Amino acid sequence: MSHSEMGQRPSAASWVAVALAWVAVGLPLAWGVWQTLRKALVLFR
Amino acid sequence: MAYGFSVFWLPLSKAIGITDSAPDDWKVSTVVWTYKLFFVFLGSSAALFGGWLEREGPRKAGFIAACCWGGGFLISALGVYLHVIWLLWLGSGVIGGCGLGLGYISPVSTLIKWFPDRRGMATGMAIMGFGGGALIGAPLADRLMKHFATPTSVGVWETFVTLGVIYFIAMMCGAFGYRVPPTGWRPVGWAPPPTQATAITTRQMHVNQAHKTPQFWLLWAVLCLNVSAGIGVIALASPMIQEVFGGKLIGLAGALKDLTQDQKAQVATVGAGFAALLSFFNIIGRFLWASASDYLGRKPTYFIFFSLGAVLYASSPFAGRSGNIPLFVAIFCIILTMYGGGFATIPAYLADKFGTQFVGAIHGRLLTAWSVAALVGTSLVDYIREYQLSLGVPAAHAYETAMYILAGLLIFGFFCNLAVRPVAERFFMSEDELAGVRRLAHEAPATAK
Repeated sequence: MSHSEMGQRPSAASWVAVALAWVAVGLPLAWGVWQTLRKALVLFR
Repeated sequence: MAYGFSVFWLPLSKAIGITDSAPDDWKVSTVVWTYKLFFVFLGSSAALFGGWLEREGPRKAGFIAACCWGGGFLISALGVYLHVIWLLWLGSGVIGGCGLGLGYISPVSTLIKWFPDRRGMATGMAIMGFGGGALIGAPLADRLMKHFATPTSVGVWETFVTLGVIYFIAMMCGAFGYRVPPTGWRPVGWAPPPTQATAITTRQMHVNQAHKTPQFWLLWAVLCLNVSAGIGVIALASPMIQEVFGGKLIGLAGALKDLTQDQKAQVATVGAGFAALLSFFNIIGRFLWASASDYLGRKPTYFIFFSLGAVLYASSPFAGRSGNIPLFVAIFCIILTMYGGGFATIPAYLADKFGTQFVGAIHGRLLTAWSVAALVGTSLVDYIREYQLSLGVPAAHAYETAMYILAGLLIFGFFCNLAVRPVAERFFMSEDELAGVRRLAHEAPATAK
């Protein structure tokens, strides 16, 4: 293994942190996308 | 959120009159200067402080970005409360613009270092976040203004305070979440492909050398031309579709000028829907095209933007004249994915050519192309439309010449991209210079665990 190959298997706590971060970003983004697409729906009526 | 600031213009123009504009109220053309200041100070701060960011790290830059953006909202709130326009410009435009610039570039080099195998996807997600903020911020601001509105207030200053606090907390969480990988970090099982096979350099260039290379200016032109074309469409998307199709948008015959006020209001709603759809495609294009560039290569990806983009711009007048609304909408949705893709792919293109050590700073300097494109693109479409109208061209056809000119800009961009070659070895840092730079940046060397 090269000295610069530092990739490690993430711990369980890391997975939880990653999941929480995705929820914190994903939920508002999904809400924003939904609001935008709802506004755009008038184009297809 | 910067893209979504337009939701404030009308309420700000009625801050005193509340239901209608009073004589002492600000004009929309006055408050819109905040938006122009955003982009001037975004580009300037990214160009000026990019080197500092690389030296001090993304956490400090993210912290200052949060203070500027959140604090800028609070100063603007005071400006609206006291009805002092320069406080609004200073808060959101100048200080907020600097926060935008630092916040925009701070994740770039960190992400490229964490994901050397997926540079495009990583930076595409970060830059998608910048555009995606408007999808959340604009409807949220709209709801907050409705919530805070009273018979004596349009609810803008209260909304500014709320948003300032929310953004400050969210950005601080992001800033303190940054982790910079040790020098030379790479994922398990991944080895950099040989330079000859990929045109990706393994050398590192100092930010102060980058602008001395022709490649920097060619990429500056690539970004500027791609953005100029797209930004003109974004700025005028809603009036454009209304004028091109008129009553057809609501199932009626006749041009826009022949409709009643009520019908015009319905057409305007459809125009707003078109603008919203374009913003959505702008966002998804950032992720999809930047990720695709990891497989296609950066140069071929821009070849697609410029060749397909030129064909689509040149075809749009045909779609307009034929009255084919779905075709017209589809053309501009694809164009907008490539506009967003151009933004999102450029950091990875820079890293491929100049190395990763100063990519955030070099990217910051390249963003001056954005500031120029914002002026060129919007003015070009707007002035050509005005000129066509002055010649007696019907409003439905007033955008056609502009579309052919934008197609021409993309063809020019195609040749700029074609001219991008690997950078000459003499511009890169020696091993000693690189070690010195890394010491200054307090970088930890990678060690086996």
